Amino acid sequence: MAIFRQPQSGLELQDQVAQLYTETREDVYRYLLTLGVHPPKAQEAVQEVFLRLYTSLKKGEKIESLRGWVFRVAHNYGLKVRARQSSEEKFDPAIEAQLTSPVANAERQLLDREKMTRLNTAVEGLSEQQKRVLFLRMEGLRYPEIANALGISASAVGEFLRRALLRLKKVRDE
Amino acid sequence: MNSLLDRHPEQDLLPYLDGELSARRAGKVSGHLESCGRCRAELEELQDTLTDCASYRNVLTAQMPEAPEEWRDLYRDFSRIDESLANNSLLVRLMRPLVHSGVPRWAFVGGLAMLIVLLSLNQLRQAPSVQAATLLRKAVAVSQSQPRAAHRIRVRSSRQPEFTRMAGVQAAVVAVAQAQAVAALFQQANWDWNNPLSASAFEQWRDRQVHKTDEVKAVQDPQSPSTHLTQISTTSPDGEVEAASLTLNTDDYEAVSERLEFRDREWVELSEISESPTESASGSGASSTGIPVRAAETPSRPAAFAPGSSASISDELQVLSALNTIEADLGVGELQDVTLTGGKVLVTGPGSIPQRRQEEIRSSLAKLPHVEVEFTSLPPVSATSEVAAASGSAAGATGSPMEARLEKRLGGHAEFDRFSTQLLDLDDAAMKRVYALHNLAQKFSPDAEAQLSAQDLNLLHELSRKHTAVLAEKIAEMDKLLVPTLSSLGGAAASVASAGHGSWQSAADEVYRNGRRVEVLISQMLGMTQGKAPTNALPSDLMAALNELRANLDDCGKALR
Repeated sequence: MAIFRQPQSGLELQDQVAQLYTETREDVYRYLLTLGVHPPKAQEAVQEVFLRLYTSLKKGEKIESLRGWVFRVAHNYGLKVRARQSSEEKFDPAIEAQLTSPVANAERQLLDREKMTRLNTAVEGLSEQQKRVLFLRMEGLRYPEIANALGISASAVGEFLRRALLRLKKVRDE
Repeated sequence: MNSLLDRHPEQDLLPYLDGELSARRAGKVSGHLESCGRCRAELEELQDTLTDCASYRNVLTAQMPEAPEEWRDLYRDFSRIDESLANNSLLVRLMRPLVHSGVPRWAFVGGLAMLIVLLSLNQLRQAPSVQAATLLRKAVAVSQSQPRAAHRIRVRSSRQPEFTRMAGVQAAVVAVAQAQAVAALFQQANWDWNNPLSASAFEQWRDRQVHKTDEVKAVQDPQSPSTHLTQISTTSPDGEVEAASLTLNTDDYEAVSERLEFRDREWVELSEISESPTESASGSGASSTGIPVRAAETPSRPAAFAPGSSASISDELQVLSALNTIEADLGVGELQDVTLTGGKVLVTGPGSIPQRRQEEIRSSLAKLPHVEVEFTSLPPVSATSEVAAASGSAAGATGSPMEARLEKRLGGHAEFDRFSTQLLDLDDAAMKRVYALHNLAQKFSPDAEAQLSAQDLNLLHELSRKHTAVLAEKIAEMDKLLVPTLSSLGGAAASVASAGHGSWQSAADEVYRNGRRVEVLISQMLGMTQGKAPTNALPSDLMAALNELRANLDDCGKALR
């Protein structure tokens, strides 16, 4: 989370972006899938986002949290891509089917299957914005970063998150 | 401040867990936790829920497909970017010595002017095209973060007299006779006719043009000089559309108007029929928008006495009524639309509705004729727009001055949080009814109503009355919560003269406009969106908006009696 300093040489900058790319690309990729972007498009988008990051840094833009920036741009880009693919089917991770399938369950005996199904239903029932806030929080983003990604205030992030968790808690307790 | 310590800091527990509190507030919370078992238990539960969420996410991501291809090595692209940046910055470098050397100011200005002349003479038209692309991208992003409910646009063209139609995410694709000629133009040009007046439709068209020229300029709205508008004009030598210009509201990136010129000299102008706060100041807007609309859409809707082989608006009404019994009204429930199309009543909803609920919806409609239910996996659209989904300009905003004053007034952050939660919940519930009522008014115009049987008419009015009753309740609760606070902040409401509506439908239109305005003002007051109006006026504005909402709702209720 440290403030990013503009590296001295261009090569150093390339290395830093490349390293962040290696570390974060899977997370960003999966986040885009949760937005409903198809896998090939999502992968393309991730690469594009990191190239944009490089361009921005190269132009001397000051970016406080690189991870936050990457998710913000990926989020907006992902929505755009998703809108374009509207004629096709939206990518659906089809969690419901798999959560209840015995094969998938054998691999995660530790998880209470009932609870997961309930949780899944509850998450599906959240508003779009609550879901986005929750997923970004799960990616380890801080409130101001989420706020930035979604174009809302940090206090609204806290409020959305709190409401989302209250709903999920209720479901857990059922 | 001691009293604050004694209260349970429920609102702070989650940010406390997430490490998002200031050191001072976090200290207070941990102090409280030491002595309060209840909050400790709550904290633990929150922690458990978060842990569950984390494992849920892990399960979810684990079963997602791997990236289909090998990840690209970005270094080669980096070099490419370096090169193109080096070319672009030539201009900047040319100008730099002018700025920093002791060149006299006039010389600098003169040089700059010359550069500008040179630039415009040159084919360096890239600047406006970049500007246009950026603006459009932003506008599309904003419109996607706040999917608009169905809204109405006015269409003028070289082919047809003026008419209006619904557009937007919930728009039913209605084949209106009058619109068909214009629709054909759009289809020929491959322009999204379902949502023609939108940044995304414009962007899609613009992206397809290979040799295009852009222009971006600020324009003024003669009717409301305080509104900042930006116009993007693009011309293209190929394709059906010769030139198109899109005017965006500079503050919220909403598309307000658009003009398309086709190669065969035809033209079409689209403009948003404003639901903006500025218009709702008087109730007079309804007459100009409400009536021609219905006139335009009615012909395509088979009347109640249509033969039994295909669905009629009476069937549609039965469907809406059945949905009402399980709280799945349009606007209230999670369904997207109920439309009369192809001889059927088509009920659509997002595929994300839980299976059990889908079954419930299906079975509630099972006995009715000509009904088709479809749950599609398109991105879900919530009927009530998220209050807090602000435009990018509010990004990172941490509290408005009004938020701070409110917080002080209410006696602290925790109180403010409780207040805002309660208010948002109420507004949410109220808006659902506003949308539901609006939906009914749109579907059953006075003309359409005239064709309903007495029994159906009763049913329709009963449905509408249910919504007005709940809405009135919610408004009363909002009043109770808001008015004391607003008054103490200097708010005073002007009395509202009833506009006198001809029909419950036109009153419902007005209720819809008022409701939207209340929603916007509330989110501004809570610091969730940035408003254009001065902060000091907010309390009075909100009170006035609530009064208008109440007055128009009263009218609507009376007309339904």
